[in-house]
Amino acid sequence: MSSPTTDISGVRKAVLRLQTVLLDTTLITTLLLMVELQWVAFSGKRGGTGLLMTAEEILKNLSYGTLALVAFVAATAWNLFYRDIGCSPGRAWVRGEPEWERDLPWHHTLRGWFIALFIELSFFTGWLITEVDLGTFLTKFGKAWDIIRGLLHPSGSVLEQGLILLVQTVFLAFMATAFAIPAAFLISFLAARNLTRHSAIARLAYTLTRTVMNFVRAVEPLVWALIFISWVGIGPFAGVLALWITSIASLVKLYSESIESIDTGPMDAIAATGASYLQVLRYGVVPQVIPPFLSFTIYRWDINVRMSTIIGFVGGGGIGYILKPRVDLGEWGEVGTLVLLIALTVWLMDVVSAKIRERIV
Amino acid sequence: MSAAPVSAASREAVRIENLGKTFPSGVRALDQVSFTVREGEFLVVLGLSGSGKSTLLRCINRLIDPSDGRVFVFGTEMTALSGSALRASRREIGMIFQQFNLVKRHTVLDNVLSGALGRGHLLRSLFLSFAPDEVVFARACLARVGLADRAGERADRLSGGQQQRVAISRALMQRPRLILADEPVASLDPALRHSVMRHIEALNRDEGMTVICSLHDIDLVRRYATRIVALKAGQLVWEGLPGQLDAATFHAIYGEDAEPASNQSFEEAR
Repeated sequence: MSSPTTDISGVRKAVLRLQTVLLDTTLITTLLLMVELQWVAFSGKRGGTGLLMTAEEILKNLSYGTLALVAFVAATAWNLFYRDIGCSPGRAWVRGEPEWERDLPWHHTLRGWFIALFIELSFFTGWLITEVDLGTFLTKFGKAWDIIRGLLHPSGSVLEQGLILLVQTVFLAFMATAFAIPAAFLISFLAARNLTRHSAIARLAYTLTRTVMNFVRAVEPLVWALIFISWVGIGPFAGVLALWITSIASLVKLYSESIESIDTGPMDAIAATGASYLQVLRYGVVPQVIPPFLSFTIYRWDINVRMSTIIGFVGGGGIGYILKPRVDLGEWGEVGTLVLLIALTVWLMDVVSAKIRERIV
Repeated sequence: MSAAPVSAASREAVRIENLGKTFPSGVRALDQVSFTVREGEFLVVLGLSGSGKSTLLRCINRLIDPSDGRVFVFGTEMTALSGSALRASRREIGMIFQQFNLVKRHTVLDNVLSGALGRGHLLRSLFLSFAPDEVVFARACLARVGLADRAGERADRLSGGQQQRVAISRALMQRPRLILADEPVASLDPALRHSVMRHIEALNRDEGMTVICSLHDIDLVRRYATRIVALKAGQLVWEGLPGQLDAATFHAIYGEDAEPASNQSFEEAR
């Protein structure tokens, strides 16, 4: 009886130890790499072109392998001697903060200093990598003035075309939402934890649905638009499909979360009458989730209107489609007209959807 | 006693054999529970909250699957059923819950009609549509509990006592032979308890339905039970008639610290 228990806890301990060391190794490696990056940047080393190395060039030439090895040794050492030098961040994360450090201020623990240094280095590293340049920002305002003047003096020449494409934009968002509702409705039952515990198949369906939906959501609508453009060609339909698939993924998440928070009492009561599982869902679940579903759907339609204005940038139809070439050509007056139209539409949809949600829910 | 006398010859309605339930958390909610209920009885299950009353009732219609033991309802072994056979048996068992468990956003009538789901047409029922004769019967069930005029209202507009009466007519809609009532009046105002209990009593007395009802209020137990079983920590600790329930038994069930709602109830019994 006791021996299998010890085995399990022994395996579990080893897994926890491995997690701790890997987490610490990752953190220390990152810290060391940031130190090296700062070091190279400020030592004035020159790259292949004879100029100062850019952040990209530095990133390409950091000593990743060596530093990871050093970090692994350091992480192991830190976790071997944590009683003497204080708990490591990885250990605190995996096992929880040890009691003797719980009430200490951050600057009394090694971990506190480590994290402080980490945050500080992240900031300076970010500054280098994103090429923050305050001098240019403050002195070269003149070039941007042309654009702003254009925006303030919208030209009427694209007004008609803009308005027509605006209609397309709004319907693009509408169709994407309309197509997404039935699909998301059905899929959300598979993605609700409380409805998928009763058999191994249901649990598998849950995991599979969640994984696929997480993946779909992780890819931005603009990327989906590129995929669908190569499938159905440039135009609003590709935009509809791109917003459709991302809407499904996001609605499934929201829908299934509201299914998970229902009162299960009515489900029991309906099941007790001898009803079948479909009837239990129809009577015990659906009436409870309709108000949150409506609210989430309108919210999503709102987001889709915003997205549909820029989906045209990559060829997905809508007003963005004529905006992009005018930005490239520097037709700032026309850009101004289109931007104002977009702002007006988004604002109007925002107000309308807020009002509808207020009424329904 | 207001309930119909139960002759020893009447048939067995429910038989429970060595019933046990261990939850995944490791809690042993029921342990080796055995008893028999005869047709026409009003059996009260007595016990503290957490003593396993709810689990016991839910094991009878298999809302909870017992870990061990067997349950027979009208000769059918519930614990051996699954799928459509289980649903067919559930149709004969109406259930009333402490929290009413109505579909709040549906009308009162739709809630009553949901009692007919087990015998209706599946596809039709998914569109909340029912055969005309079922609607007539549903209205009759509502009239039985005095709520005929509230049929078109949303269920959550009704008071707690009214909602529980809707739940009773939903059970009635099933045309059941057995009623399981899980603390049916525990979340109601004390003044309304008898109004609900009397309706359950009427099903037992006038329709001959067997009732298994969990209660913890000793005065209600004396008033409505024809027989009592008592649970303590998941085990059956006492079985007897209402008249045999004295102070000593009460303390054996509820513990030494417990005090009955009114001491008079024992005085009267003697």
